[in-house]
Amino acid sequence: MHNPSDALLKPLTIKNVTIRNRIMSTAHSSGFVQGGLPREQYRRYQEEKAKGGIGMTMIAGTSSVTPDSPNKEAGHVDISTDEIIPYFQELAKVIRRHGAAVMAQLGHMGRRAIWDRDYWLPIISASTIREPTNHSFPKAAEDWDIRRLVKGFGEGALRCKQGDMQGAEIGGAYMHLVEQFMSPLSNRRTDKYGGNLENRTRFLVEILESMRAHAGDDFVIGVRISGDELRKGGLTQDEALIVCRDLAERGLVDYLSVMGGEAQDHISHPTAMPGMSYPVAPFLYLASAVKQEVDVPIFHAQRITDVRTAARAIADGHIDMVAMTRPHMADPYIVNKMKDGREEDIRPCVGANYCIDRFYIRGQARCLHNPAMGREREIPYVFSPAEKKKKVVVVGAGPSGLEAARVCKSRGHEVVLFEREAVTGGQINLAAKAPRHEALANVAQWLDLQVRKLGVDVRLETEADQGAVLGENPDIVIVATGGDPATAGVKGAEHAASTWDILSGTVAPAEHVVIYDDNGEHQAPQCAEFMASHGAKVEFVTHDRAMGQDIGLTEAALYRKNLYKLDILFTPDQKLIEIYPEGNRLVAVLQNAYTDEEEERVADQIVIENGTLPRERLYFGLKEQSSNQGEVDLHALIAGRAQSVVNNPDGAFQLFRVGDAVTSRNIHGSLYEAVRLCKDL
Amino acid sequence: MTVPGVLFLIGLIIAGGGAVRRILLWRRGRSDGTGGILAALATVPARYFRDVHTVVVRDGRAARMHIFAGGGFVATCVLIFVVHVLGATAPVFVLATLLGAGVMGLGAAMAWRRRRSGRPSRLSGGPYDLLPYALGAFAVFYFAGTVPLLGESDLDWRGPMGLALLPLGVFGTAFLLPGLTIGPMRHAFAGAAHLAFHPRAERFGGERAVTLKPLDLEAEKLGVETPQDFTWRQILSYDACVQCGRCEDACPVYAAGGPLNPKKLIFDLWATSAGDPVAADYAGHPYPGLEDAGAPTAAAGSPVIGRPGGIAEETLWACTTCRACVEECPMMIEHVDAVIDLRRFETLEKGATPDKGAVALETLAQTDTASGRHRDERLDWASDLNLPLARDRRRFDVLLWLGENAFDLRGQKTLRALIGVLRAGGVDFAVLGEEERDVGDIAQRLGDEAGFQRLAEENIATLAKYQFNRIVTNDPHVLQALKHEYPAFGGRYEVAHHTTFVSELIETDALQLSPIDAGAVTYHDPCYLGRYNGEFDAPRALINALGLQRPEMERSGPRSFCCGWGGGAALTDIPSKARVPDLRMAQAKATGAESVAVACPNCAVMLEGVTDAPLAVVDVIELVALAVTVGRAEAAA
Repeated sequence: MHNPSDALLKPLTIKNVTIRNRIMSTAHSSGFVQGGLPREQYRRYQEEKAKGGIGMTMIAGTSSVTPDSPNKEAGHVDISTDEIIPYFQELAKVIRRHGAAVMAQLGHMGRRAIWDRDYWLPIISASTIREPTNHSFPKAAEDWDIRRLVKGFGEGALRCKQGDMQGAEIGGAYMHLVEQFMSPLSNRRTDKYGGNLENRTRFLVEILESMRAHAGDDFVIGVRISGDELRKGGLTQDEALIVCRDLAERGLVDYLSVMGGEAQDHISHPTAMPGMSYPVAPFLYLASAVKQEVDVPIFHAQRITDVRTAARAIADGHIDMVAMTRPHMADPYIVNKMKDGREEDIRPCVGANYCIDRFYIRGQARCLHNPAMGREREIPYVFSPAEKKKKVVVVGAGPSGLEAARVCKSRGHEVVLFEREAVTGGQINLAAKAPRHEALANVAQWLDLQVRKLGVDVRLETEADQGAVLGENPDIVIVATGGDPATAGVKGAEHAASTWDILSGTVAPAEHVVIYDDNGEHQAPQCAEFMASHGAKVEFVTHDRAMGQDIGLTEAALYRKNLYKLDILFTPDQKLIEIYPEGNRLVAVLQNAYTDEEEERVADQIVIENGTLPRERLYFGLKEQSSNQGEVDLHALIAGRAQSVVNNPDGAFQLFRVGDAVTSRNIHGSLYEAVRLCKDL
Repeated sequence: MTVPGVLFLIGLIIAGGGAVRRILLWRRGRSDGTGGILAALATVPARYFRDVHTVVVRDGRAARMHIFAGGGFVATCVLIFVVHVLGATAPVFVLATLLGAGVMGLGAAMAWRRRRSGRPSRLSGGPYDLLPYALGAFAVFYFAGTVPLLGESDLDWRGPMGLALLPLGVFGTAFLLPGLTIGPMRHAFAGAAHLAFHPRAERFGGERAVTLKPLDLEAEKLGVETPQDFTWRQILSYDACVQCGRCEDACPVYAAGGPLNPKKLIFDLWATSAGDPVAADYAGHPYPGLEDAGAPTAAAGSPVIGRPGGIAEETLWACTTCRACVEECPMMIEHVDAVIDLRRFETLEKGATPDKGAVALETLAQTDTASGRHRDERLDWASDLNLPLARDRRRFDVLLWLGENAFDLRGQKTLRALIGVLRAGGVDFAVLGEEERDVGDIAQRLGDEAGFQRLAEENIATLAKYQFNRIVTNDPHVLQALKHEYPAFGGRYEVAHHTTFVSELIETDALQLSPIDAGAVTYHDPCYLGRYNGEFDAPRALINALGLQRPEMERSGPRSFCCGWGGGAALTDIPSKARVPDLRMAQAKATGAESVAVACPNCAVMLEGVTDAPLAVVDVIELVALAVTVGRAEAAA
């Protein structure tokens, strides 16, 4: 008779802190912190989760307890001075007023920090080994370094307490400084902080004792720790269990937050932050193993994306708190929707890792399909009703069209959505055909469900021409017709196939294939992996310095790993300038992007990826008849005001285009564009 | 003495013999005293003209027919006795007799037309179809036999006219007078006796007599096994059934094609009590799905429940105890009491509670909650609401009884809304938390009186520790238990349903509501709030206060249609052709409303469980909470 949510909605009490349910968000980078201080953007981001019913949010991921873990310029929290206290107090106030608990993480990145930032202080670590992702050469911590670090963590804990945080946690995982001491991979010391496990753990123990001494016995203190580094020569599960048992038995920790893997190099990141290439809950077993050994509550995050899995993890006794960190970026209202019996309305975390990868590339995390995350001030989760009910016609049910229809209907407009295909989703349906990326389909499925539940008039297999659109007597027309594959102006491109042809199954991969990437995003690597896994020998040619130049850390690492395994040859810095047939084969003429030297490749098939060119016939057909003639007031758009451009007083409707119908972009860009425009129409 | 006089007297004497036999049949039941017999009989006119009449007039056509036919018959009989037997042939008596017979003849014609032109399906046929003819024959015969007494004409009983009339007279008199104790007309005799000796005298004081009679757990036998375990008053009540079928029309389980027909149930209860001879008397609809069952043949002394011979177990457990049948019965029969009495034996003596019912009782016994949750989990969902605990407060105004719905997501949503409203209204309340035990409604309705009494006593002991003025609950089943069932065990409290309580907050201006935009809302009366507790107005007043359009379902108020949950029916889960909540949802849809408002967490669960429900299901308080939020937002702006 038990509902799966029963287990999740049971409060957990740790010392004097009662957490209202078992769902939390772990500490993580977001880039929403300015100048080391959590201001409005970060506050709103965290508050939204509290509003949505989350039990606890752990804030201040990758914060810094001393100035030599530079992160102000990386959008992280600086917890090394008392300046943080009022900001924490304000954060605690807004989060706790919604009933959620809040704790903060203390950290030091050690050698994973980037040295030429903030104060340009020497980077420190356990030993002097170059860090492979951020390329810092660390200094091995001296005795006085260890003393000030231990003190720094203690003072940080006190600042958490003074800042009304209900607990503090050591960021002892993700190969940050504490793990750099614990892991044989990064600790080559011969003093009492290196060698055997006890010595390698000494730094952590001293930090915990310092935190306890500073913050007092009644303050909740925990550690985020790896349950197994899953690397040859790394910290093993047996060692991790010994450490966890020891910390718990000595009363040094009030809980343990156990994860799997580490983060010392590129390829370890997608394991530590598993995305859609991984099964659900891949490392729950590690946390579960620790739970069997210790008496303190166990927290765990890592690709637990749905409440059913979360409920089982709790109900079956594997863990005590389930962290759904990325899922809360996709939808901060998970708990409330579950409570309302609206599980199907929870926007699912599909595991695209756009959040993490976007943070690494552009400095701010974004959710692939929740444009409101991190933009809580700008984009609401509940749309206010429009003052005047209008008739809106949306043409094209790809991501931007679906989002436009969803937002307009939510505001009370009457919405007709035309789609020429038999299914909605547009290019998402193509992307979901790529190996390991099937879960992308959930992006379209969620939008489709919402649009239908709202009662949008969806007309599938209906090609909307001017007549069809005008026949609806619309007040607003939104053209979201997407685009068609572009060919980078290559001479003889008619001999080439597009990535769409391959992924859609229209054109089968041939034996020897040259794929040319003039995009830098996911499309070409996905297509290459698809072809190679179907038996093709693939050479990956790109104009860029490397394959997947604009793909972030975790996904880029996985493409590399999988493409190398499939024996794909990478040829960067080459332009494809011409294709001509020779016999029954094709010749690709490549030109070095720096020297202009040309070389040729003979292949059975040449595939070009160059983004899309907009399908704009309908737009230009309607343009002159519309009141705004398609013009968008960009200032109004950014400021969140309604569009009021009138170029043609006789025009009966406003005309806008969104998504790839404007120009080639990605899912997030299309959704953001649609919601930003439509929320004020 | 005239010929009609002789015939009448013979009929009366046979009827008298029949009556003695009948009374002996009734007295097979358990002794329950008789009270002052004359005093009891004296209550009949008042009970008839007030209480019975209130029910009868709901069907105007039937009521008019009955006034003419029944009223005419009684008057005519008295006058025939005066004129033809006693020989008082003063013209005034004679004319009165003619008038009476005339009125009765008119009634007979009405009854005939009613049955001829599409007899309502609920009415039994068989001998009942002969009744209009008998009434007509009786009226014609005694009219014709009285005319000569005016002295202006003569009637030769040996002549053709007389010989033609005599068979009519014999038929009519035999059917109606001896028939008073064996035929359809026994409803008049047994009905009058039933009114006099009704098992629930309190019903006639204007009360909603809905409290179940507590069971003496020390008794030799618990509940009713054989007909003789019913009280004689109950057996009499089953005999009083006129088979009008109003209960059949009202029964939600019957409508859903479940194996229950309250009319047949009452008939079968009589048949098992009286033995076989009257079995042919039933010519109504069978229990749906049990068409081949036939009449029970159980002899006196054998169990009422259990086929062959008795009533099927499914029939007993299909009942939702919604009281729609009791509400409609013009003979004031207590169907639900019979069901509970029988269930008590099945559960306590036989351990035969079906399906999840037995599991729930076991769970209640072990955990004090119906869902098997630990009592200390009752506030799990509310840890962020910081609800004040009675244990800490000791003294407070309102005790908020959370009930079983605190363990259910849907119920928690309603409770959250209610708590928000109480706080907005500045109510000083506390909750029992882990000290709260299930009130025992399910146990009681499934016949586990022992389990119920244990829970009641433990809850009463807990409540005795605190000082408060009122208990408020959003669960009408809790309301029923605390308000009506607990006093028998010494727990007397002022208990208010949340809609009643919040209505008062609004009336006293402790709470202001702003109109909200939620579309048209139709209100579903929960059985245990409406029929059991008489609260029909407060929920409607709240919806009105929100400025919402409120179309009524065809069946609403006292005639509301059950959601299918009550009486443990959701647990015993007896199969039926359709589901009761599906039918109710269809009725709600017919109003054109966008959502259906409920005032009971169990109704919410049942109606929300309708697949592809066309209407949203909201508790009234959830709408009120929206208005409070709107109010706050407007105040802030």
